[in-house]
Amino acid sequence: MASAGSGDEKAAAAAMITLISSDNEKFEVTEATATLSQTIRHMIEDGCTDGGVPLPNVTSKILARVIEYCKKHATAAAGEEGSSSSFSDAAFLEVDRAFLEELEEFDDAFLEVDRATLFDLILAANYLDIKGLLNLTCQKVADSVKGKTPEQIREMYNIVNDLTPEEEAEIRRETQWAFE
Amino acid sequence: MAPPELMEDLVGEILLRLPPDEPEHLFRAALVCKPWLRILTNPEFGRRYRSFHGAPPLLGLLHRLTALQGDPVPRFASTTSMPDFPHPSSGGRRTRPLDCRHGRVLVHMLREKIMSYLVWDPVTGDRHAVPKPTIHWLIHNAGVFCAADGCDHLDCHGGPFRVVFMATDDHDLLVKPTRAAVIRDEIYFTLRWGHAIVKYDGGNNCLSMIDPPPHNAYGISLMVMDDSSLGFVCIEGCSLHLWSRKVNSKGSAEWVQCQVIDLKTVIPVIDPGQVPSVVGSAEGVGAIFISTDAGLFTIELKSGRWRKLDEPGVYFSVLPYMSFYTPDRCRLLSLANMN
Repeated sequence: MASAGSGDEKAAAAAMITLISSDNEKFEVTEATATLSQTIRHMIEDGCTDGGVPLPNVTSKILARVIEYCKKHATAAAGEEGSSSSFSDAAFLEVDRAFLEELEEFDDAFLEVDRATLFDLILAANYLDIKGLLNLTCQKVADSVKGKTPEQIREMYNIVNDLTPEEEAEIRRETQWAFE
Repeated sequence: MAPPELMEDLVGEILLRLPPDEPEHLFRAALVCKPWLRILTNPEFGRRYRSFHGAPPLLGLLHRLTALQGDPVPRFASTTSMPDFPHPSSGGRRTRPLDCRHGRVLVHMLREKIMSYLVWDPVTGDRHAVPKPTIHWLIHNAGVFCAADGCDHLDCHGGPFRVVFMATDDHDLLVKPTRAAVIRDEIYFTLRWGHAIVKYDGGNNCLSMIDPPPHNAYGISLMVMDDSSLGFVCIEGCSLHLWSRKVNSKGSAEWVQCQVIDLKTVIPVIDPGQVPSVVGSAEGVGAIFISTDAGLFTIELKSGRWRKLDEPGVYFSVLPYMSFYTPDRCRLLSLANMN
């Protein structure tokens, strides 16, 4: 793994981008890492990244996590592109599987955060338009909603119930089966 | 600390990821608060939900039996936590479901003079009468499918449909009353004798015959593969054999064996001497239905995962009903619009 990544890192070293969080912290990242964000990719294409990219909606704490995700997944993407040359098919499949497993483990560990951080990551993934991260974080919340009652969901996510008792009764009557 | 609130469109992103084969989650979420109810009953959400998940999930089963086996129980047996959709036999009439596809069920209403064939949409409750063909029902087979041009079949409820009846005038070459396979505007039936396959090409209005792959099984099922080729599945010995009809480099079609699954350790049987039998398949979700003396089972081809669907019984051809069922499909929609 490490040898597959190092060549690409050297090649991309010339193109570094500076990301600036809402609390003014600067993060130096490779273009390959930064362009997992479609929002930043478009900024680079438009040539407006000189002097750094200000991200007024993302705190340094969240940006650090987002960059951690992008670094890992950018290496994965580079690994996939530059693969077929030196491995036989079987060896390649073996490496591929090991790498995918490692990536899954990384994603699982990455999601071990409190709910507030998870929501901040969703907002950041949405703002920065990072498809993989948005999918990962939203799926985590969706899985947490599964099998819960409406009361439990409200409590978990601090949601105020603004349905009138009549409306609630009516909905329950229409979909009784879902609550049995 | 209270979790921050999510913008409405991000709540949609999350709810989009609730599984379609467990529809109760969406309906429970609709009761959380008004904004969630609004999102879930918005037809635009329904569209996004369907295209996000692709193939419609299995919601329930109907059963088709041979004439000698009698009438099946007039029941739409739900395979989810949803209640059964009310079957159109409620008036006590004898019914035989013949096929189901693209959200519709074709039901033969026996001894009903005016409405002898019915195309029924369990999700919307729509019912359409189909004119009676001039062939005797004992020898024909029939299929129903969506007839809308370029349809992705994710939500073709209420659209145009086509019913095809197939029969032969040769008593040695009777059409087997098992579920047909439909690929684009081609429909495939099997004959009782050796499971030879008859293809009706609706685009060119022509019939042709296809030899089946070599096999000795009594129970077979035609299926539609993920790459839209014709599949053929049967059980021989203790193994499930799956064939696919591929076009080779010379441009002619041939059967290619693409999967063999050893069922010995997979599907439960009580008497080891009993051979399980294939009784159907569900396209899109890649599932095969297998009947044994221990019950009716489904096995997913990709994962090898299986589950029991019903108790042991007489099964001949399983008709899988596949459709999305989302909160915009019921009266919740009018409730959300009131506010």
